[in-house]
Amino acid sequence: MALPLPPGLTHAEVAFLAEMELVTVVPRQRLESIDLLGGKTPPLRPPHRTDLPLWLALLLKKQRRANILPPAWLHPASLADIIKHETKTDPHAFSPPPPAPARADPSRPGQARRQGEDDSSLLLLSAPFRPSCTADAPAGYLPYHWLEVAESLLAHAGDDVASALGASAGEVRGLLRDLVEVRAAKMRSSTAQLEGFGGGLMSLRGVGAVELAESRGFVLGVVDGVRKIGASAEAVRREEEEERGGEEGESDEEMGI
Amino acid sequence: MSYYDIDSILTDAEKIPCTFQVDIPDLGYLDNTPTQPLKAGTKVNLPLWLAEMLAIANTGDAEGKSFVTFDLPPALGNDVVQALKADPRAVPLRDQSAHFYGLATHMMELSEEQELAAALRKTFVTRASEVALHARKVGGVGHKGKADEGSNLGIGGAGEEFLRGLDEWERKLFRKAHDGAKSGKEWMEGVKKH
Repeated sequence: MALPLPPGLTHAEVAFLAEMELVTVVPRQRLESIDLLGGKTPPLRPPHRTDLPLWLALLLKKQRRANILPPAWLHPASLADIIKHETKTDPHAFSPPPPAPARADPSRPGQARRQGEDDSSLLLLSAPFRPSCTADAPAGYLPYHWLEVAESLLAHAGDDVASALGASAGEVRGLLRDLVEVRAAKMRSSTAQLEGFGGGLMSLRGVGAVELAESRGFVLGVVDGVRKIGASAEAVRREEEEERGGEEGESDEEMGI
Repeated sequence: MSYYDIDSILTDAEKIPCTFQVDIPDLGYLDNTPTQPLKAGTKVNLPLWLAEMLAIANTGDAEGKSFVTFDLPPALGNDVVQALKADPRAVPLRDQSAHFYGLATHMMELSEEQELAAALRKTFVTRASEVALHARKVGGVGHKGKADEGSNLGIGGAGEEFLRGLDEWERKLFRKAHDGAKSGKEWMEGVKKH
C-alpha cells in the first residue's frame, strides 16, 4: 500500500522551516554569541542592528530583550504596490520573487554585481539562506516565506511592526488578506492554461511556500486528470510518431545503400 | 489504477449499448426471449468490462468479425458533448454518470474520439477552477466566528446545485482543494498560540 501521507509539506512543516529566515532585530540587552548546531549567532550589542533567525528573534521579543525590524516589503505602500502589480500590471502571472542580492563592485564604480556571481561557493539562492526578510530586503517583492513570516511578525511583534511602518497591524493584515485572495484566485484560474494540448504548463514562479502547501493537492489533481483524459490521444500520437520514425529509419538505410 | 480501486470497478460496471453481430444460442434471456437464440443485430446494454471483451475478441470466422459492436453511451452522446461545449459549468455530470470521466477515458481507449477528448479536457479544467472556488468558500474550521459565517454565503442556491452535479473525479478534486484550504485556515488561526 502507498504511504497514506499526501505528498509535499504540510502547513506546520512549512511554518517551521520559515523560522530559519533571518530577520533584523534591535537588541535591548547585551547577549554573547551562542554556539548552535547551525553555527554561532552574532553577539548582540545594543543599539546595533543584528540579523537573527526568526525563532530566536521571536523568543527574545517575547522576553522583551529585543525589538524586531519588519522587512521593507511588509510596508503598506509596498504591499499595495504588489497588489496593484498582481491585479493591474500583470493579471495573469504571480508577482516576481526578489532579485538576487547585489553589492556594489569596488573595481567598477557605479556598477553593482550580484552576490556570488564571481564565486560559486557564495551563491545563495534558495529560501532560508537568502536574507529576504531582513531590514535591507528590497520592497515590492514577496520572498518565498512571505506569508509565514508576515503572520508571525504580526502575531508576536505587532507593536514593532506598527511603530516601524507607521501603520496599524490591522491595516497590514487587511492588505495581506487581499493579497492572499488575489493570489488564490490566480492559482485557481491558472489551471485553465492546462487546457491546450501539449502546452499544459503552469508557471508557479513567485508562489510562496504556504500557497504551494495549500494548492498542491488541487493542482496535482487537475494535472493528473488532464493527463488521464489525454492518455489515449497521447498513446495514438506516440504510435504515429514511432511509425513515422520507423519509416524515416528505413529511408535512411536506403540512402546509405 | 489499482486492482482494488472501487471507482475503477464501478466504472467497469457502467452499461454501454452494444449490437450483436452473430447469432448466439441460449443467450436469448438477455433480450427477454429465453427460448429463442439471440439474433444478430439485437441491441443490448452490456457492462463495459463484458462489452470490451466481446468487442476485442475475434469470432474466428474468415471475415474477422467480432461478437459485438458498441456505440458511445448516452452519457457521452452528442447532445451532452454539445452542451458541455456551450457551457461546461451548466451540465450536472453526475446525472449523466457518477463516473463520467472514468467512463469517458475508458471509451476513448477503445475508440478514437479526438473531438470528445478536446471537449472533455476543456470541460475538466473549466469545472476544476469552479470546484476550487467552491472548495475555498464552503465551511470553516469546526468552531466558527461571525466572520466565517459571511464566507459561507457561497453555499446554497446555484453553488449547491453545482456541487451536486460533480462526478467522482471532481468530488475527489473538491476534497483535495477543501483539505488544503482548511489546513491553511487552521494554521492561520494557530499562529498566535505559539
